[in-house]
Amino acid sequence: MRNVVVALAVVFTVLLLAYATYLGALGPIPPNDLRELAKALLERSYRPWNPFNTSMCPEAVTAVVWDFRGLDTVFETVVFYGAIVATLALYRTTSRSLGLVGERLSLIVRYATLVSVPMILIVAAATALHGQLTPGGGFQGGAIAAVAPVVALVVFGRRKLLDLGVTYVKALIVRNLALVAIALTALGPLIAGIVLGIDAYVLQNQGKVGAPLSYPPWILDVPSGGSVILFNIFEALAVAAGFTLVFLTLALDEETARRELVGEDRGW
Amino acid sequence: MATMLSWILVVLGQVLVAIGIACDLIAAILMHRLRSFYLRIHALTVGSIGGAVVPLIGAALIAAGSDFLGTYRWYVAGGAVVTAAITFIMAGAGTHAIARAVLRTRAVEEEPSSGA
Repeated sequence: MRNVVVALAVVFTVLLLAYATYLGALGPIPPNDLRELAKALLERSYRPWNPFNTSMCPEAVTAVVWDFRGLDTVFETVVFYGAIVATLALYRTTSRSLGLVGERLSLIVRYATLVSVPMILIVAAATALHGQLTPGGGFQGGAIAAVAPVVALVVFGRRKLLDLGVTYVKALIVRNLALVAIALTALGPLIAGIVLGIDAYVLQNQGKVGAPLSYPPWILDVPSGGSVILFNIFEALAVAAGFTLVFLTLALDEETARRELVGEDRGW
Repeated sequence: MATMLSWILVVLGQVLVAIGIACDLIAAILMHRLRSFYLRIHALTVGSIGGAVVPLIGAALIAAGSDFLGTYRWYVAGGAVVTAAITFIMAGAGTHAIARAVLRTRAVEEEPSSGA
């Protein structure tokens, strides 16, 4: 009886919402005109005929993320790495040890994984490298790429992954280098401006009035988004390496992990 | 002639999508009604292969027959076929991995019994 009441309530709610939407509760879908903010963003995202105050990035969302509100994204990136650093700090010595030597899964799963891992990496690369052209970007590409080591970790075991060269130290180096590269990409125009004796801004992408420095807006005949493609590539590497680090650490067996945490509550 | 072929592709695609919907519905009911883990594994496959791979092939056929999409219909159709192929491999391997893990850890009672 209770199940029937719940099911009827769900059906009634869905029908009610559908009817309200049908009557126009959400306004015209799609809206008849663009808001001023949307117009301004669309005009400035990609404007090859007037390369000042533009991102040269056809994908407007990525233009907003890495250019219009670039500083916000840099701080988000910092928060994300802070979280990873905190996780790694908890397991600061054991995370480098071998810990559990996981047992590999059956032949069927291993072969299916062998087929899927390269495909995962290809999709990740396409998502990150086309971030300035199609929906996606660095974080998304990195998160997709991080699925590959996780699947491999579960299917082949931690030992095999380490043998293949996906180690804690290497992932740490890739992550740190990628972070430095993001910082350099953000500060690049400013450093160049100081050297050349002209005005430039932090996170400057294309030239602005009084600050003419620009990242190359094209790669061959494809719009590069200037600094956007660099941010996407480095962010993808940093995110993939960061997630891999965490997963390698979390794959430790419980006993090893507990040993590391002894005394944390007493401050030693 | 081309229009006729397009219509056939679209109708075939819609039939496959309809089969997919039926499979998903049946899988949902079986998932609820079957009494043990090993029996519900079958419902899982009905949902993932019948309910995902088959309608994806249907979507590819519908896209291929939708002339108004121009060149873009091949992007949609290609994407659907590739996704169907990946799902086909992954769903089988995933179901196998889950069943094997449960069997080896004896997480649930073996029912119906294999007699071993």
